[in-house]
Amino acid sequence: MTNTTTPRTSPFVPNSETVGHLYSSPLRFPSDMQVSLVSMHERNSRNSPFISQSLKDRVSLPPAGSSHTEVQSAALINHPEENKEFSWSILPLQDLLDLPENASAQSAQFESSTGAVPSEDHAKSANWQEWADELISVDVALEPNWSELINDIDFTDPKPKELKPSSDILVQQPQNHQHQHAHYGENLTAANPLATVPSTKPRMRWTQELHEAFVDAVNQLGGSERATPKGVLKKMNVEGLTIYHVKSHLQKYRTARYKPESSEGTSEKKLNPIEKMNSLDLSTDKSMGITEALRLQMEVQKRLHEQLEIQRNLQLRIEEQGRYLQMMFEKQRKLEDEKLKASSSTMDERSAPSLNGTQSSAENDKSEVLEQDHAKTGTGGSNANVTPKEIDQDGSRKQKAPENSSSKDVDSNNGQSGVQPTKRARVDQTAA
Amino acid sequence: MKFGKRLKQQIQETLPGWGDKFLSYKELKKLVRLTSSALPLLNGSFEYGKAEAEFVYLLNNEIDKFNAFFMEQEEDFIIRHKELQQRIQSVISTWGPNGSQHSEVDYKEEMGKIRKDIVNFHGEMVLLENYSNVNYTGLAKILKKYDKRTGGLLRLPFIQKVLKQPFFTTDLISKLVKECESTIDAVFPVEEKERTKERREAITVGGEGIFRNTVAALVTMKEIRSGSSTHSHFSLPPLNLPDSELMSIATQLSNSHSLINTT
Repeated sequence: MTNTTTPRTSPFVPNSETVGHLYSSPLRFPSDMQVSLVSMHERNSRNSPFISQSLKDRVSLPPAGSSHTEVQSAALINHPEENKEFSWSILPLQDLLDLPENASAQSAQFESSTGAVPSEDHAKSANWQEWADELISVDVALEPNWSELINDIDFTDPKPKELKPSSDILVQQPQNHQHQHAHYGENLTAANPLATVPSTKPRMRWTQELHEAFVDAVNQLGGSERATPKGVLKKMNVEGLTIYHVKSHLQKYRTARYKPESSEGTSEKKLNPIEKMNSLDLSTDKSMGITEALRLQMEVQKRLHEQLEIQRNLQLRIEEQGRYLQMMFEKQRKLEDEKLKASSSTMDERSAPSLNGTQSSAENDKSEVLEQDHAKTGTGGSNANVTPKEIDQDGSRKQKAPENSSSKDVDSNNGQSGVQPTKRARVDQTAA
Repeated sequence: MKFGKRLKQQIQETLPGWGDKFLSYKELKKLVRLTSSALPLLNGSFEYGKAEAEFVYLLNNEIDKFNAFFMEQEEDFIIRHKELQQRIQSVISTWGPNGSQHSEVDYKEEMGKIRKDIVNFHGEMVLLENYSNVNYTGLAKILKKYDKRTGGLLRLPFIQKVLKQPFFTTDLISKLVKECESTIDAVFPVEEKERTKERREAITVGGEGIFRNTVAALVTMKEIRSGSSTHSHFSLPPLNLPDSELMSIATQLSNSHSLINTT
């Protein structure tokens, strides 16, 4: 979390600068906004052949931040003035995105980012969100959910972590895609440095431990009715937790206590299907029947849970294999390039057929591994090592870490390569 | 049956209230179709990049939606789980055999309520897991479609990101579910004679509520995985449920209830 780390590792100054700076810009807009908004709308409706208007507007948002590949908010802060303001101007008015002068600058950013949007480091961040919120408070009611809009701009890796005094997390953040962390608040760093901004809505991912701490704090303060969010926050003393998190959690807690299970259902206020259905369950007063029914229900639920877990693990593994395959392809390609460069023509002729054999056998190995996994016999591991070994055999090539495998494997796999070209093609398609 | 339809059906039968929290599969599919048909018209990589960015943007929106909803539910579950545990403790210590105000009647009554509540609670959590999985599956499918139709290379890297999202990392929920199961086993030990009595009765009664939802989810899962024309190395194998009696009951129930129009 770049913007969150900065204040902690160095005094608040950089951020306040930023904040100060940015806060000033929105104030300039309000008068202009309404006017330009109208004209933008008109223009947009003409320009959107197959993309809906709102979509088109939003399309340009991501690149606004994408030119910054550095994650440090310092980088963001130091960025040329006009860039920031310019991006700023986009944010409040999605429609402004189509202004010609914007478009050209934007397009450059777009191109660089689109191919790798999901994996790119966007230096955008909760910063935008805060500022967006501030902008909203400056009474521009264009889009009700704009901070969400800005939040949506990209998602990066938000691996949730335990809520601990977060110095280690803060250290990690700079390298990370901070954006998500801010939003999903799985960490305390989500409670930002811009804690002065009242309308932060980063989501906190609660854990059992955190909840335990919460309950302890509440009990120490005399119970859920008497405890105040501020008091609880102080008692809990967890870095990064904001009063808003505590407040909403306290509310849920109170509801759960005073409306015991049977009448509660989900957290939605309106009557939901679960609540309705719960009340139908006691349609008979034969207690044996109920017990049996509950037992049966439990069986089905357990079964579903089990299957979901299995399915999830399978999905994870499939993607892992896919990634591995991809890596293999790339390594192959690199090696091929090197071979072509380094070798004489005779060497080339010799290596080409075995390379092809290698490639398809590697893929076949992967396919086989997948199939075998499905059938739950895991012999894939050793097959995967065939490729490097084969390449080694070709002579003086740059070698990857050599791995051991029997030459028998090599032969049998080569034999198969001719048989399974379609599989290879498919694998190519799906993995490439 | 196609995934889109299955998805809709599952939402209807399991949790219509959560309808808008699920993946907007149809819309995304439309966009893929539009994008792929417009592709020849787009000049150069810039335009294409723009279209892809938009698609990604929408996907990100969806993911944010899942995450927000999921974490909200998760928080609730954490709270309710603890409350249930405490409630059980207090009932045992008040009306239980060694309790302060031992009362067989009260104990049985309260325990009965708790049992129902805890089983439903368990069901709700499992349904949330199902929600997570269905959305993931939808995303994987839509990405596959996108790559196929537009010749893009979006799927692989994007799905790697998805795998790490809060809504897909369901470890905590899974843990809560297991804790729930062990609590139930501990507090409501199964007696053999219960099994044989009035199973039919049980089936009629159990055909409502959460039970029905989970049954529907299970059956749908089986159907989704029962093989398709585009089966590849990235596809899941068919669902294999060893407990055939259970599945036949489940299928019976689901068939009979699909005829009933419920809100």
